[in-house]
Amino acid sequence: MASVEEVKKRYEGRLMSTPGVVGVGIGRSGGKTVIRVYVAKDSPKVRKAVPEALEDVPVEIVVSGPFKAL
Amino acid sequence: MKPEEAKAVCEAQYLGVEMEGVTSNVHPNVVGVGIGRKRVRGMVTQDVAVKVYVKEKLHPLLVKDGEVIPDEIEGVPTDIEQSGEFSIWRPIPPIYHRKVRPAMGGLSIGHYAITAGTLGGLVKRGQDTLILSNNHVLANENRGVEGDPILQPGRFDGGKEDKDVIARLVSFVKVHEAETNTVDAALAMPFDARDVTPEILNIGRVRGTRAADLEEKVLKSGRTTRVTNGVVQDLSATLRVGYSQGSFLFTDQMIVQGDKGSFSAGGDSGALIMDYQGNAVGLLFAGSPFFTVANKIENVQNALNVKVI
Repeated sequence: MASVEEVKKRYEGRLMSTPGVVGVGIGRSGGKTVIRVYVAKDSPKVRKAVPEALEDVPVEIVVSGPFKAL
Repeated sequence: MKPEEAKAVCEAQYLGVEMEGVTSNVHPNVVGVGIGRKRVRGMVTQDVAVKVYVKEKLHPLLVKDGEVIPDEIEGVPTDIEQSGEFSIWRPIPPIYHRKVRPAMGGLSIGHYAITAGTLGGLVKRGQDTLILSNNHVLANENRGVEGDPILQPGRFDGGKEDKDVIARLVSFVKVHEAETNTVDAALAMPFDARDVTPEILNIGRVRGTRAADLEEKVLKSGRTTRVTNGVVQDLSATLRVGYSQGSFLFTDQMIVQGDKGSFSAGGDSGALIMDYQGNAVGLLFAGSPFFTVANKIENVQNALNVKVI
């Protein structure tokens, strides 16, 4: 089975070009390793555009807001 | 006579408050007049006295003729107290925003043309001891040139080019718009090695560096939000980060969420993110309303060919 890192790498480009997505990462949620998709704003549109899982790796949408240099 | 009346006479004679039948004057040493219990050799007595507050209490023999305050005024005893001059309380800026020598991690710093960021800590490159922070703090987002003056505190905190220059810019990793980036980092060389110390304000000495773990507790000391605690949420983040010149793509980033509110805010850029054993794990450079983003310390050390000390 592909590692979460590999799965993330495969889909990263596509995810990053989805409008509203500002980041892609890996984290833990409920004891499971998940792919985190950071979005600037929560919306039904962005939730529809991002799949719930990628090759058996669950995807979690994280509402982060836009990232800026501090 | 009542103490209130005697006090009014004193106000006229010493503070210049106008009063009919009394020549108003200003006594050079008197700064206030009031009513209170007379104190004798430090002990409070039962007698009510007119309190005369002075800048400086002098020995009776040293007081000039005409400036002597009598023991009694209109039958009411006087009590002279040294209060010093009264002034309004001006807020003292926090140490994070002040000039501190030797300077250390956590304090305000910045390229002369920027507002202010945070001095991360010290690094070694060969024999040189250098200051580590972000490119956008020490090198003004690629716009700085070698030798540019670095102010501590930063300009926003009152840093001036004639008296607060601590170092000069020596090198930085460019941030690219077309390529992906892993660090926002720069180095400055102190003009005097004695002006810096390898410590972090309110955290202490740095013991070393290591890679953080997912869900590990971390902390930082920065110019704006000072010491804050948080948890590492992500160690493989790819993000678009907004800068004044556009948005840049960063890979292999660390994301931290604050325990109580924000882990960081504008001006905290450049702070080292530390584990609870005193090891540096990241270099803070960006954030969103809910998260903080840091470069992994290993990537910073490799990109600049330095070791955090």
